[in-house]
Amino acid sequence: MTISELLSQYGEKYIQALLTTWQLTALSFAGALVIGIIITVMRVCPIKPLRIFGDLYVQIFRNIPGASLLIVLVYALPNLNIILSYYQCVLTATTMIPAAFCSEYLMSGIDAIGIGQIEAARSLGMTFGTMMRKVVIPQAVRFSVLPMTNLLIATMLTTSLASQVPLNPKDLTGLVSYINTRDVGGVTSFLISSIMYCGTAVIIGQIGSFIDKKVRIIR
Amino acid sequence: MNSEVNVTEKDSDKTIVELKHVEKYYGELHALKDINLQVKKGEVVVLIGPSGSGKSTLCRTINRLESINSGEILIEGKKLPEGGAELAGLRAEIGMVFQSFNLFAHKSILDNVCMGPVDVLHRPKEEVKKEAMELLKRVGVDSQAQKMPAQLSGGQQQRAAIARSLAMHPKVMLFDEPTSALDPEMIQEVLDVMIELANEGMTMIVVTHEMNFARRVADRVVFMADGAIVEENTPEEFFTAPKSERAKEFLESINRH
Ligand SMILES: Nc1ncnc2c1ncn2[C@@H]1O[C@H](COP(=O)(O)OP(=O)(O)OP(=O)(O)O)[C@@H](O)[C@H]1O
Ligand SMILES: [Mg+2]
Repeated sequence: MTISELLSQYGEKYIQALLTTWQLTALSFAGALVIGIIITVMRVCPIKPLRIFGDLYVQIFRNIPGASLLIVLVYALPNLNIILSYYQCVLTATTMIPAAFCSEYLMSGIDAIGIGQIEAARSLGMTFGTMMRKVVIPQAVRFSVLPMTNLLIATMLTTSLASQVPLNPKDLTGLVSYINTRDVGGVTSFLISSIMYCGTAVIIGQIGSFIDKKVRIIR
Repeated sequence: MNSEVNVTEKDSDKTIVELKHVEKYYGELHALKDINLQVKKGEVVVLIGPSGSGKSTLCRTINRLESINSGEILIEGKKLPEGGAELAGLRAEIGMVFQSFNLFAHKSILDNVCMGPVDVLHRPKEEVKKEAMELLKRVGVDSQAQKMPAQLSGGQQQRAAIARSLAMHPKVMLFDEPTSALDPEMIQEVLDVMIELANEGMTMIVVTHEMNFARRVADRVVFMADGAIVEENTPEEFFTAPKSERAKEFLESINRH
């Protein structure tokens, strides 16, 4: 099929799929940030079992293939009497994995702060929580804007896992595979979704480096 | 200037910091050996000694940035808490100034000074801001209040760090080589601030090799070697006629440079 044929037949569906991909990406990334920060605080806190839990989380979810995790969620959770919709399963997978990477980036941000400021915070009498909120997290986040930008793009690409389950409306990759099961969409159908993925990635990259310049700490 | 640090006759015998038989190990290394030290209100004690003798370690045990293996540390007669909110509360009363300033890099100079009183003592922001500006004026960096730490010279950063400690109205201030990371031309401006503090009656424990400072304001010089206190003396006697061989050797070695 030519581009114009594809667009006239599936144009609206492509737009809807793009919006679905964006929605999955935004929700997953927001969740990944929250979970990533919590896991990171666990990994540096004074309570050993929490540190171990945090490290374990990262080791597991950084190293598990997204498709495997999705299969586990779809097929294993019902055995535990936890019934999630397909959409929720996808969302869980595309949140848990980026959260592990988010924590890794924050940890290297924390390393960049240096022990001196941590000791200064402690000697001012800050409790662990205050120190985290006022000194450590704000700086770690600023140090990790660029890696986080890449993580957001990676998260978007990971949402293509949604194509592995029946979803309505479909995400971009899901739509492409749907088109190709009905018509001979061919390379062109991939081309359109690729342009949409790439365009989004370019915009994310631009916004990321803009934010990085804004919040970068003068050293 | 600051009425709270004025020393009256009566409370000048009050012991602010007391270390009793303090022992500290880093693994096999015996870093502090049977340390006994008393610092009274308004006293300025200078810790001096060769590199690796345990001066920083001693300083850092006083606000428990380093834990100790045995012995006791008392602040105003109360035992130093082991951890938790109690320890944080006690640290809030002990000022600490580091060799490398350690200002919070993401906050302006003014915010650096306000953070302790606002986020630790929960005092109202507006009131704290006013006081912080006065403190910055006192140490001579009020014109830099809105800048970020990295935009200041080392001497200015260190003076701002002193203001940050003062904002907590500490009972005692610990200085760990506050001038040794500074370019020579900036050392005096920091020492001047410290001299003024000492003259106002601040209780201070200062690790430094600045002999002029020690001679001018120290009530006592404590000389350490190999983790132990080897000699306690008046500054005048310590620098002109030290009692111990170790101190003699040490003074000769620094005079040669
Ligand atoms: N965190 C640590 N872990 C292991 N050993 C340490 C640690 N901190 C200090 N030491 C060792 O303890 C001894 C005392 O160190 P400390 O830093 O107190 O000496 P110092 O008198 O302050 O020396 P300097 O003049 O070089 O600052 C040294 O031998 C040092 O190597
Ligand atoms: Mg030292």
